[in-house]
Amino acid sequence: MTTRLLAQKIVVAALGLALFVSAGISFHRSRNLAEPVVLGPGVTSVKKLGEYFAAIRGTVNDCNLYFMEGREPGGTMLVLGGSHAEEPAGRLAAWLFVENGTVEKGRVIVALSANRSASTMTRLGGAYPPDFTIDTPSGPRMFRMGDRWTNPLDQWPDPEVFIHYPSGQELAYVDIRNLNRTWPGRPNGTFTEKTAFAFMEMIRREKVDVAIDLHEAELQYPVISTIVTHQRGQELATMVSMMLTDNEDFKIGTEFSPLTLHGLSHREIGDHSPAISLLFEAPEPFLDATRGITSREQLLTGKDEFVVKAGRHGLLFEEIDEKGWPIAVRVGRHTSSILQVAETWSEDNPAKPLAISGVPRYAEVIEKGVGAFLQDVTKAGKDRLAYE
Amino acid sequence: MFLSVRLPVLACLGAVLVLGAAAPAQAQKAETPVLVTSCGQSPGPIKLTVYMKRLQIAHDLKTDATAKDLGAKPYKTLIVVTGSSLKGMGAAGVSIDDEVKRVGALIDEARKKGITIVGAHVEGMERRAKSAAPGDNSDEISIDAVCPKSNFLIVRKDGDEDGRFTTLSKKHNIPVVFFQKNTEIQDVLKNVFGS
Repeated sequence: MTTRLLAQKIVVAALGLALFVSAGISFHRSRNLAEPVVLGPGVTSVKKLGEYFAAIRGTVNDCNLYFMEGREPGGTMLVLGGSHAEEPAGRLAAWLFVENGTVEKGRVIVALSANRSASTMTRLGGAYPPDFTIDTPSGPRMFRMGDRWTNPLDQWPDPEVFIHYPSGQELAYVDIRNLNRTWPGRPNGTFTEKTAFAFMEMIRREKVDVAIDLHEAELQYPVISTIVTHQRGQELATMVSMMLTDNEDFKIGTEFSPLTLHGLSHREIGDHSPAISLLFEAPEPFLDATRGITSREQLLTGKDEFVVKAGRHGLLFEEIDEKGWPIAVRVGRHTSSILQVAETWSEDNPAKPLAISGVPRYAEVIEKGVGAFLQDVTKAGKDRLAYE
Repeated sequence: MFLSVRLPVLACLGAVLVLGAAAPAQAQKAETPVLVTSCGQSPGPIKLTVYMKRLQIAHDLKTDATAKDLGAKPYKTLIVVTGSSLKGMGAAGVSIDDEVKRVGALIDEARKKGITIVGAHVEGMERRAKSAAPGDNSDEISIDAVCPKSNFLIVRKDGDEDGRFTTLSKKHNIPVVFFQKNTEIQDVLKNVFGS
């Protein structure tokens, strides 16, 4: 081997090592980024998912459950953020409940990272940003940008075919790591199935009346800007949709959960517990296959000229223009929708009311921005701080 | 004085301009009991029945109702909610062609029995071809299968953004009752089924 060839090999190896180290640091930082949560006035206790199923205890998916007990008894609502961690409006909307909300009647339980493992990595080969920052009056707050699926470090390998339990339905192989395809889970299943099972145990034991799963969807997906509901929630969802469309400056439809499509929260939570299960979809151009640069800016502004172009060709199920779909709009849709569910539920179930205050609705989130409702971490006492 | 005479005239002129394109919509009446169904398996029927329940208007919701169902009770009114859902039809295992065939037979039977047929479109432009998959026009097929055969129509105004229902109303001389907001469905139902 000539000296020159040896030198070339050393340089290439050094470059490879540099890439390996820098990528490793980025992955490690992303996986271990601690996201502070300021416990708002309504949070009365923080429990762990593992309290409901021992196999989850101490694992990456032993997520926090924020309990907001009302002063008066009533119904119980569960809000799931982060089922799909690459849909940040769901997580942030849930965050606004925890940091701002007060429950007067009933009880609200919130998960910010329902599939916490999925929040510790981004789409493999997708060139996603590992994190994003929301500006607040007290400084920037950084959040993990996650993925749709459980991190392969926590569950691997995938089978060639994923057979959903208990329906036996064949689903895409990769969805064996998708929390929203593994409901209701099973105690001896995969890590993701165990996570779903733990949530089901919690829903049953805490006697949840309404379970809301917060999501975002690409504009090329037909189930968008809508509430997908279990058949027992059809009237509730329809009334919520009508009230929101009439009274707030956005339109949201309803879709009924297909009886034979399994694994999704809107089907299985309702089938395997007394809870009414609802799933909200807000538009997220970041997820569209025809998007341009997959950047933090695109994630937060929802602006994308290529998605706009797709719309001009009639390829989208939701409108988009140069204004995009800013994160405040997406978060505001979710907060208003959750609050409206509580109000409509209370009208229909006066013996089990849900009264929530302090959480901003759609117009207020847009006017002031998401950051305005993220509290000052430095001013929170240690006993009023949690980490995701 | 000038204004007091002129304003009502202008108001009447404005009303003629707004409503004149459609057939007269005043005092559309129907009787109970009502059978509510869908042509396209959209969630729209629930928008009506949720208020019918609150107003205690005797009704049955059967999204897959067939001509046979009209014999189950002495129905006086059939409401068919138009607009399709690919998800809904997929879940029900039917196509828009199946829906058109089913509803066609249902309407024919209703006509034979002298049942009032009300075509409805209650979800705005979200349940028009604009929001369907590229190349899918099942919303429009559903509208064409029902509205021209109806005694009158109930339509959320924003679903008529392109004048679709106004044109149908004018062409087939079918009155159309427009409403602006979802919560106005309640008033529409009160007026239609009130004594």
